[in-house]
Amino acid sequence: MKKRLLSLLLGGVLLLSLAACSNQAGSGAQETGAEESTENTAKDADVSAMSFDEMKEAAKGTEVTFYGWGGDEDLNKWLDDVFAPQMKEKYDITMNRVPMDIDQVLSQLAGEVQAEEEDGSIDMIWINGENFQSAKENGFLYGPFTEALPNFNDYVDAESEDVTMDFAYPIEGYEAPYGKAQFVLFHDSAVTPEAPKSAEELLEYCKTYKGKVTYPALPDFTGSAFVRNLIYEICGYEQFMDMEADKETVKEAIEPALAYMRSLNPYLWNEGKTFPDSSTTLDKMFADGEVVFNMSYAPYGVATGIANGTYTATTQSFQFEKGTLGNTNFMAVSKNSGNKAGALVAINEMISPEMQASRYEVLRTLPVVEYEKLDDAQKEAFDSVEIGEGVIPQDELLSKRLPEMPAELVPIIEEIWQEEVVGK
Amino acid sequence: MKCIKCRKYKKNGRNIGINIVIMALVLLIVLPMLNLLIWTVTERWAWPDLLPQVYSARAIEEIFGRRGEMLKLFGSSVVISASVSVLSVGVGMMTARALTCCKFRGRDALYFLSLLPFLVPATVFAMGIQITFLKWGLGNSVAGVILVHLICSLPYAVRLLMDGMRAVGTKLEEQAQVLGADPFRAFCTVTLPLLTPVILSALSMSYIVSFSQYFLTLLIGGGTVKTFTIVMVPYLQSDSRNIACVYSTAFLAVTLLVFGAFEWMIRCWSKGNVVKYDFG
Repeated sequence: MKKRLLSLLLGGVLLLSLAACSNQAGSGAQETGAEESTENTAKDADVSAMSFDEMKEAAKGTEVTFYGWGGDEDLNKWLDDVFAPQMKEKYDITMNRVPMDIDQVLSQLAGEVQAEEEDGSIDMIWINGENFQSAKENGFLYGPFTEALPNFNDYVDAESEDVTMDFAYPIEGYEAPYGKAQFVLFHDSAVTPEAPKSAEELLEYCKTYKGKVTYPALPDFTGSAFVRNLIYEICGYEQFMDMEADKETVKEAIEPALAYMRSLNPYLWNEGKTFPDSSTTLDKMFADGEVVFNMSYAPYGVATGIANGTYTATTQSFQFEKGTLGNTNFMAVSKNSGNKAGALVAINEMISPEMQASRYEVLRTLPVVEYEKLDDAQKEAFDSVEIGEGVIPQDELLSKRLPEMPAELVPIIEEIWQEEVVGK
Repeated sequence: MKCIKCRKYKKNGRNIGINIVIMALVLLIVLPMLNLLIWTVTERWAWPDLLPQVYSARAIEEIFGRRGEMLKLFGSSVVISASVSVLSVGVGMMTARALTCCKFRGRDALYFLSLLPFLVPATVFAMGIQITFLKWGLGNSVAGVILVHLICSLPYAVRLLMDGMRAVGTKLEEQAQVLGADPFRAFCTVTLPLLTPVILSALSMSYIVSFSQYFLTLLIGGGTVKTFTIVMVPYLQSDSRNIACVYSTAFLAVTLLVFGAFEWMIRCWSKGNVVKYDFG
């Protein structure tokens, strides 16, 4: 009896204290939330009204978080060893890089916005494509901000389609360019001397190397780009630029390409019944010699691979004659960021000729600054970079650059591919 | 006579069988580990060669080149997970004792509730609790991460400790009470030392659950609480196999070290206890 009483009592105390805790914390958060929200809108107004010098002043001594995919060791190292020290020294801003996949960034952001957290933990986000579209449409992003950045006004071609549109979705100043990417194909010229430069040649190539060619299963980013590239090869790209995002319309338009992909299947790895789950799996299969053909959205990735020894020295990039997809990846600022001024200063620094040249040199990312707008010393910094082995020269690469499809079409094509191509 | 012989033979036969099974199990564990170790210094290892074609220390240099950052990372991860395991054993012990030794209304329901985190998928749970924690001001904080890890590791601790508690029973403790020890002392000097093996398993299990937690840490920690797993997982998903292998090896090493430390501490502590028990 005594024991039972005691356990009841203890349980009661526990419950009470829990309730008290949650109550206190809850109301506390609400109060501070309310306070902060007025303060924050004031701060928001401040940021959009601030001159760049005032932003620099406001951001001094603060910390900026930068959320983005963290699986690229070279990029992580560059951000930590080159970019972060530069920000610290020049502006007294501490950069905090947070490795996170974009889906998780968006779900965290959604959670914070839903919880009405005003001093959010996410400042800067690495983003593009349909993720940008959904984030912007849900009101998760701060902007427009690009016109407030001196380097954007001085060095970026604000009129070019690479900067005004992201997967054919208007950016309207809510994103600043981070780097350019272009789709390339590559093979080991010692293993397969021929490089297929068109859809017909690719079919022949698959027949010759039966079972040793494949591409990542959609909706993998790279696999999806490869399929879009094949669609452009066969159906041309112009008709997609203003196509309605309707499954039937899209299916009708890409039917010849679907038939072509089905004709590839019998000669693919595992006879096209299954596909590797991701581009990283395909990369491993290529490095292991299981397949002879690979692809990437990093146009100079082969050079890094050869330099590291992951790929053989005879590995060579190539493109389809009709061109390959190019896109830009961007930086955005979250709507509830607690340090918008700091984020803007960091983004401005990222698009400076100095940092872009460093990224080009170390990471071999295509720069977003316009070459013609640079002075001679800045041009020299880009010209002196040795890109390395196995890559396509930049002017040739860019001369065969095709625009991305509208973002809404991408998931539709992925769905159709799964229904009409896999195992057919 | 015949019977004994036959039994002996049988025993031997079984021994060989068991040995083969044990060897197979050991190989199953050791071979992948060996592979892991080789990949830490391998850049390319293409079919059909038996040995890697290109070796390099790039992965090791890149990770251990940032010693300060790594030490901080290890430090924070170990502190978080060790606090989780200690708290989890503390709470688990009380829960297990209540569930095995006391009779009260709703005990079965409480038992079921204590196992609920097993049943609810972590992602579903994470999405919901993220918003709640943010409202409570626990989001993006170490305390929040510890609390949420605790929820996940408690079922393991409770299950393990309940089994131990049931086996030990309360008889010996009651004997001590009859001899005049107060309940607290009886528990500390009699039951607790008998439970040490289970406590050790519960500690280790809770530790590993917390240490390898990715998605929950990511959402509740909001990226500001960085643990080893948070930094490691993107590499496991990327194509740099050697970097992933270096991280995995470090992960294993740290976990084993912590387990060793747990065992050492428990042994020291139970030794002290046995002496006290002798005096008592």
